[in-house]
Amino acid sequence: MATVSIRNVWKYYGETPAVKDLNITCPDGSFVSILGPSGCGKSSTMRMIAGLEHISSGDIMFDDVRVNDLAPKDRDVAMVFENYALYPHKSVYENIANPLRLRGASESTVKERVEGAAKLLEISHLLGRRPHELSGGQKQRVAIGRAIVREPKLFLFDEPIAHLDAKLRAHMRGEIKHLQRTLGTTMIYVTHDQLEALSMADYIAVMHDGELQQWGTPSEIFNNPVNAWVAGFVGEPAMNFLTCGIKGEGDAVSLMHKNFEIPLLPGQVRQLNGAAQTGVARMGVRPDALSISMTKPSEAAIRGEIFVNELLGGDMLVEVELDDCRIRVKTTPEFAGKPGEACYLTVNRDKWHVFDAGDGHAYF
Amino acid sequence: MASRDVVSYDTPLSRALSIFGTVFVAFYLVWTLLPFVVMFVSSFKDMLEAFKLPVVGDWAGMTVFFDFSPTLKHYTTLFTENSFGTYIMNSLIAAGGSAVISVVFGSLAAYSLSRVDFRGKQDLFFWIISTRMAPVVAVMVPLYAIFRSLDLVGTLPGLILAYTTFNLPFAIWMLKGFFDNVPYAIEEAQMVDGATRFEAFRSILPLVAPGIGAFVVLCVLFAWNDFLFAAIIGSGGAKTLPVATRELVQPQNIQWGSIMAAGVVTTAPMMLLGLVIRKYLVAGLTMGAVKE
Repeated sequence: MATVSIRNVWKYYGETPAVKDLNITCPDGSFVSILGPSGCGKSSTMRMIAGLEHISSGDIMFDDVRVNDLAPKDRDVAMVFENYALYPHKSVYENIANPLRLRGASESTVKERVEGAAKLLEISHLLGRRPHELSGGQKQRVAIGRAIVREPKLFLFDEPIAHLDAKLRAHMRGEIKHLQRTLGTTMIYVTHDQLEALSMADYIAVMHDGELQQWGTPSEIFNNPVNAWVAGFVGEPAMNFLTCGIKGEGDAVSLMHKNFEIPLLPGQVRQLNGAAQTGVARMGVRPDALSISMTKPSEAAIRGEIFVNELLGGDMLVEVELDDCRIRVKTTPEFAGKPGEACYLTVNRDKWHVFDAGDGHAYF
Repeated sequence: MASRDVVSYDTPLSRALSIFGTVFVAFYLVWTLLPFVVMFVSSFKDMLEAFKLPVVGDWAGMTVFFDFSPTLKHYTTLFTENSFGTYIMNSLIAAGGSAVISVVFGSLAAYSLSRVDFRGKQDLFFWIISTRMAPVVAVMVPLYAIFRSLDLVGTLPGLILAYTTFNLPFAIWMLKGFFDNVPYAIEEAQMVDGATRFEAFRSILPLVAPGIGAFVVLCVLFAWNDFLFAAIIGSGGAKTLPVATRELVQPQNIQWGSIMAAGVVTTAPMMLLGLVIRKYLVAGLTMGAVKE
């Protein structure tokens, strides 16, 4: 168990920076997810923590120990790779036993630990097989078994379930989270899937273009994104963005759009502090913070036309066409509107966001 | 590497081609195997019997070939009057020694070229193979001069060194392809598990074993069948089988019986080797080409 601190870390590949001035502290025993699209520097970060890449500048600390110059074997970390990286010529038993053997554990310890790990992961019946005889989910369990058999300071999981099918992925999310809670070991989990990060992690570090965008708990990331990029990346279906004008003075400020004019709540006016002068902003609203009806519910409702309906099992996603854009609304499957019909949208103003039109930072 | 059923339908052309194919293969087999059969059979014949030939066109006379009383006297001569025992050892040591040295250094170099990026890597890689581009005869004279000044002419170490000069670049090129096909993540996993770089390298050797096996065979074959190096650099103290066989041809007396027996002694071990590792060889030579 260890607290992992990443301090002012940069990573260059040639002239290209992959990670820019990263600062993260992962508390002891926590489950931290590094979330971002491909090429955002999340895997480079993980590989620097593991010692598989050099750190261009900055420090990585495990508790009070600077690990920059330690070889991977001396860092006492365990890693699960995206492609599992099992040893194809060794049995499952030998794969899991490998870290123990490399550290010279006695045969009885090896047997006890391997069987313990296999039991925990429910792969005891597979110990005699070779990796090529296993399914994707089983290989992934073996890779996890190899990581947990040694009780390391830190787990590093690099998109370990990205290649599994959807059902198995949902199952493994729960299992990995439970495993981390049971073992209590600090875990850093790299993923591009915002659902994995939101559902599993204690803290999420959202990265984009090598920079840390936001650090916070899943609910902070989801409910209070610091900028438009985070707001757009996290959440499925994605947040709707509309460029609006800002009108008003004092306590009466409204967002203006061709189709609507909606006043801000009093607290939000203060948070907007002075941005009104620029005259434009981006409104962000998640599909589930909008409600749709076929009759006009109030004066502030937005009039639009239904473009298409998508039934997603328990929910219905309706795409509504406004004058110059389309926005998506989540509603119940019972919604009866047909494409082409006029409809009215109401915004839940407690859950909407306003971002700066220039750099995209969030006012609220 | 799964093979697939190729769906084919009979047409007059395909039937004609198939008959042609069969005939061609039959001729090819006769062409390839007949010399070996003649060599093998003649090595057990007395000189007089060996030169008994049927008249041209007399197909029934073919039986003359197999009408003889087998004798082992040519083989006995090889090992008593000529010291073929020593020559076999020389051949084995020269071929085996060069194969082992080439595999050890070749796999280390190939691994480095496959895994580590450094400036001038492509140039170095090309330079390594360019040493194989000149024909052997072109470098023979300077090589001889160098070897002579180092007192290596006529010694087994000299011969091993000469073969290694030519086998090592080949080893590096061939084995690099095999290392390239092993995912680097496997070594990374090893290193995170607690292995040093060298232990990680050792751990993937089983994965390139088919490649190493195939290379060893080709390397042994090259050295075993070589005449030029053996005649010039190995002459005298490090006489190998091909050179010794050549010496059975004397101006006034060509010892056909012994030559045939020497041919069998030289060929048989390589044929056996080929049979034993045939599976490896094919897997090894195709594995490099197909990325899984």
